[in-house]
Amino acid sequence: MIRLTGVELRRLVSRRLVVIGVAALLLITGIMLVATWQNAKPLSAAEQRNAQVNFEQAQKDWQEHGEEYKKQCLQDYQSQPDPKPKLEDFCQVNPPTLDQFGKPMAKFTELMPDLLLGSSYLLAFGAFLIGASFVGAEFSSGSISNWLTFEPRRLRVYGSKLIAAATGMLPVAVVLLAILLAGVYLIVGALGTTAGTTGKVWGDLSGTAGRAVLMAAAAGALGGVLALLLRHTAAAVGVAMGYLVLVEGVFGGFLTKAQPWLVRLNFDAWIKHDTTYLVDNCRSTADGGYLCTQIEKTLSFEHGAWYLGIVVVVLIALGAGVFQRRDIS
Amino acid sequence: MPELAVSTRGLRKTYRTRRGRKVVAVQGLDLDVPVGGVHGFLGPNGSGKTTSIRMLLGLIRADAGTMTVFDQEVPRHLPDVVGRVGAIVESPKFFPAFTGRRNLELLADAIGVPRKRVGEVLDETSLGERGKDRFKSYSLGMKQRLAIAATLLKEPDLLIFDEPTNGLDPAGIREIRETMRGLGEQGRTVLVSSHILAEVEQVADTVSIIGHGRLLASGTVAEVIGNSTAATVKVAVDNHESATRILTAAGLTVRADGNYLLVDGAEYSADVTRRLAQHELYVSELIPVRADLESVFLELTADEGLGGTR
Repeated sequence: MIRLTGVELRRLVSRRLVVIGVAALLLITGIMLVATWQNAKPLSAAEQRNAQVNFEQAQKDWQEHGEEYKKQCLQDYQSQPDPKPKLEDFCQVNPPTLDQFGKPMAKFTELMPDLLLGSSYLLAFGAFLIGASFVGAEFSSGSISNWLTFEPRRLRVYGSKLIAAATGMLPVAVVLLAILLAGVYLIVGALGTTAGTTGKVWGDLSGTAGRAVLMAAAAGALGGVLALLLRHTAAAVGVAMGYLVLVEGVFGGFLTKAQPWLVRLNFDAWIKHDTTYLVDNCRSTADGGYLCTQIEKTLSFEHGAWYLGIVVVVLIALGAGVFQRRDIS
Repeated sequence: MPELAVSTRGLRKTYRTRRGRKVVAVQGLDLDVPVGGVHGFLGPNGSGKTTSIRMLLGLIRADAGTMTVFDQEVPRHLPDVVGRVGAIVESPKFFPAFTGRRNLELLADAIGVPRKRVGEVLDETSLGERGKDRFKSYSLGMKQRLAIAATLLKEPDLLIFDEPTNGLDPAGIREIRETMRGLGEQGRTVLVSSHILAEVEQVADTVSIIGHGRLLASGTVAEVIGNSTAATVKVAVDNHESATRILTAAGLTVRADGNYLLVDGAEYSADVTRRLAQHELYVSELIPVRADLESVFLELTADEGLGGTR
């Protein structure tokens, strides 16, 4: 098994598509760093003048209508269905400040978690494609039948391929996330502030990055499983994209209460260590109308971990069962 | 030392078509392949040759029956004997973007064969120079040679070639034939499936003929030909029309063949001359036609309604 996995890893790194895929991930990471630099760059003199003008206009408007806005918000709050959100959350009606119109200073502790989440999506998607093409190529070329005449123990063959697809992505994900972390820290350190980046913050960021690495490995393996089940890379990618668009996108958009059972939100909960989502809360009103508000709910890290763990295990077991019994033509 | 390299009993496999119809590919095949030499596995297209080979190699599951390779029951004990078996099933299948050498190196690593063996088998199959080229740039003949090189990595006792000359030019066919013959002479067992009879007749020591997934005949080439009822004589006679009528009336089968008549079914050649002479038709030439594997094959498969003609 170890020898077979080694062979599969050598095959993985020899594939041109893998090299291209890793280069593309590196390029996108570079683009993220450039975007961070653009975002952290201070305003030019002209932009600062423009911000000052806008701020003064808003201040004037607040002086004239501020009390009116507060009253209106309180009225709206009273008509909210139960359970009502907190008043201070619902009515955030405050006088304008200059930094709302200028460009806030880039803070490493605020930027980095979102960048890590975005990068984890990117890595998972890249790993899925690489894993799917790695296994799918064997079925579309027919070389799997040749391979099985050398090693007929199918579960070993299956295991070695999935382990290679998963572990092959580990160093890629670690290096890319390290580049992103270090790059953002240096950029924000130079143009914004890294104040408050305590040991605990580094610990949390490392935890998020570690979970993103594990997710990339799992996505690589799942790409392989799906390509094996469907016998073609394009079919695997098509099914995955179709699921994401139709089920996660369309269905998830209509049935907001089903969100805890969709992959995307559990992915977020796993990476961010808890996440929140909004659920529509609708009721009929006395005047025969229909009033909807949104309530924020939390999806726990544990829920995300169990959900994703079960999905991964079930799909891998399904792939093993099918591959063990399937006729290879 | 086992006497049989391969043995199957009652081997059966059915497929379902996309419309749900059951198709019997192999039905109760009993096959014996002796150890050593070249064994031809013959049958028309769709007779179950490739399916049988795939079942032997564990690529598809048999519905019923037993199989052994070197006395080891397969597929259960296939891992124990797979090191002694090299196989090419239908067209050679490798990773198209990798070089021939890289493809073989991966296979060698998978089975723990030293890398230097890759160079040796490439040289043995005259691919030493082209080993660094991508598989997808190879001609069909080179792909076939690379597949043979892959089977030789294990130094196998049993080589299974499924339709090895499909699509090859005459030079390629001759090369593969010589390779098979050479391997057989080294004491290895070569099981070669084909529907091209002349190709197999030239290299095979023993043959099995199958049709509709069942064994029709088996034995040495001489035995299979000898068992045939096909005795044909080529007759030169002046009046073809009368001669055909007379011989047909005597229960013989007559076909025109240019200036000759081909007469099947006569127990002795003299019967033909005697019957014609009784009607004052005198034979100027009488040539016994030696039965060959092709005629036997056509006779057997025609009997089975497999599309062969006589």
